[in-house]
Amino acid sequence: MIELQGITKVYRTGSQVLEALRSVSLTIARGEFISIMGPSGSGKSTLMNIVGCLDTPTSGEYVLDGDNVAGLTFDQLAAVRNRKIGFVFQNFNLLPYATAWENIELPMLFDGKNGRKRRERVTELLNAVGLYEWRDHRPSELSGGQQQRIALARALANDPPILLADEPTGNLDSRSGEEIMAILTELWRDGRTIVMVTHNDHIAAHSGRTIRLFDGQVLP
Amino acid sequence: MNSTLPRFFWSEYRKRRKKAALITFALFWGTLSILLLMAFGQGMSAQFRVAFSGLGDTLIMVYGGQTSLEFEGLPKGRPVSLYPEDVDFLKERIPEILRIVPESYSFLQVSANGREINRTIHGTTDEFALMRTQVPRMGGRFLNAADVAEGRKVAFIGWKVAADLFGAEDPIGKPVVINRIPFTVIGVLQKKIQDSMYNGPDADQIYLPFYAYSQIDNRRRINQIHIQPHAAAQSKLIEARVRTLLGRKYRFDPDDRYATSFWNTIEDAKEGMAIFKGIEIFLGIIGALTLLIGAVGVTNLMYAVAKERTKEIGIKLAIGARRRVIVQQFFLETLFVFAKGTFWGFITAFNIVHLIRLAPINYDSFGIEAYLLRPVFSLQIFAAYMAILGALVFLSGIFPALRASRSNPIESLRYE
Repeated sequence: MIELQGITKVYRTGSQVLEALRSVSLTIARGEFISIMGPSGSGKSTLMNIVGCLDTPTSGEYVLDGDNVAGLTFDQLAAVRNRKIGFVFQNFNLLPYATAWENIELPMLFDGKNGRKRRERVTELLNAVGLYEWRDHRPSELSGGQQQRIALARALANDPPILLADEPTGNLDSRSGEEIMAILTELWRDGRTIVMVTHNDHIAAHSGRTIRLFDGQVLP
Repeated sequence: MNSTLPRFFWSEYRKRRKKAALITFALFWGTLSILLLMAFGQGMSAQFRVAFSGLGDTLIMVYGGQTSLEFEGLPKGRPVSLYPEDVDFLKERIPEILRIVPESYSFLQVSANGREINRTIHGTTDEFALMRTQVPRMGGRFLNAADVAEGRKVAFIGWKVAADLFGAEDPIGKPVVINRIPFTVIGVLQKKIQDSMYNGPDADQIYLPFYAYSQIDNRRRINQIHIQPHAAAQSKLIEARVRTLLGRKYRFDPDDRYATSFWNTIEDAKEGMAIFKGIEIFLGIIGALTLLIGAVGVTNLMYAVAKERTKEIGIKLAIGARRRVIVQQFFLETLFVFAKGTFWGFITAFNIVHLIRLAPINYDSFGIEAYLLRPVFSLQIFAAYMAILGALVFLSGIFPALRASRSNPIESLRYE
């Protein structure tokens, strides 16, 4: 369960003050599939980063599964990102020097899972995204769609209950985009909570609920 | 720590070894150049000292002269000569003297092995060896106390004399005839560097026991007296005492600078030491500046490479890496790169120094090579270098990791 109460994020650059989020309150129930929509600069990604514990709000309260996130240490937040939340980025954010296999394995390494468990899980995930034969390739040798499927597999490595996707199809052709959406929909059906940022209505149509942001505020 | 992490660090390091190659090379090159620079500097300084001690060890030489002042009604211009008994006379009266020996010499004909040459022949006593760095070659010896006491007909010869008379043959036990009197060769001087001398280098000299020498040169007076003090600091005091005592004995003004003269190598050495010290300080400054330039280059490179990895840090943090994992990884990678570069620099410098030391020095006409071909490898300098450079490299290598692991992951992720 994700509960945001009066979340504000302010960026200061010199004398300029930019309010990216203005008192956003939002509750996402377990097992929901939510799309966050809005024009560029409306604060979608900022909201996503706060939900994903990659960024901290300037003010407001974020309670994740009953824990106040503001009270967690750096390493406790790392553990949340590692086990509770899987993050899929628009630009994939794969390690360029590591193979597909190694990229997927990484969250499990940070979790201290043993070699046998890791091997089984990476094999399972590679098969699920249909890229087992590509396991020894580096990101630069893969297409955008393939890279995003590897990134998705990495996000699922520790089997997190929540999956966050920040414009996961933004850099993909429509066919690759549909493939990714098919996987996300299936994951939702399996009971995972999915939060997705998009500005494509067609993509948003896959979700159960759509939230619209404008100028850092949730439109009613 | 989980045992899978070290293996993960190692595999990540292997992947980026090529990217770190430039840093490794810079560390290798910096280590090599600094160690070589310091080795040559230390070697030069050490060889200066060796050459300086080629003449002798804390030595004061006393010569006769001619009075230049009137004294107790006696006119100036009287010659002052030294005699063998002056040695005991001075030794008994000056407790600061450790060793004192007489020396006489003249240029005479020497023949052996069917060859004939002219060389300076010296008469002295056994302690001369300790004062004037006369080290015998293997298989021979210098004059000993019995040779001197009994006036034995034995000779200690310079290595050039040995070569001139006997060629490659071993001269020990063979006769040499000096002024028609036969002597047996008992030792040959080991090759040495000698930067100051009287009558030419010791390589060309022949030394006989004092009383044996008297039989080929019937002058009573001696050419000079060598004095070695207990402590170098006493040299000026001894000089003044010698002047006073000899002045009383031979009736000249103790302030008369020309009645006797002195060659005080201890005072020369002070000047020499100041020069050596100057050279060492100069090289130390050059070394420090080189280290600074090298450190700026290496740390800049380390920092740039580490900074380039900010995004990588962001990705790892985003998928759940703890702060310790990130910092450990950067620390270990810096350690690998630093160890590799400096290790090969150390090995290369060490081998170059020891290869150069194998080069022969021409003792017969030594020149600049005598100072350059004996570099000294110093572990202390290497340790100091490692400590300074190591600290800088580690700071620059892990600083970006420390900083990135203290802010929100999104800030590192945004880095391009």
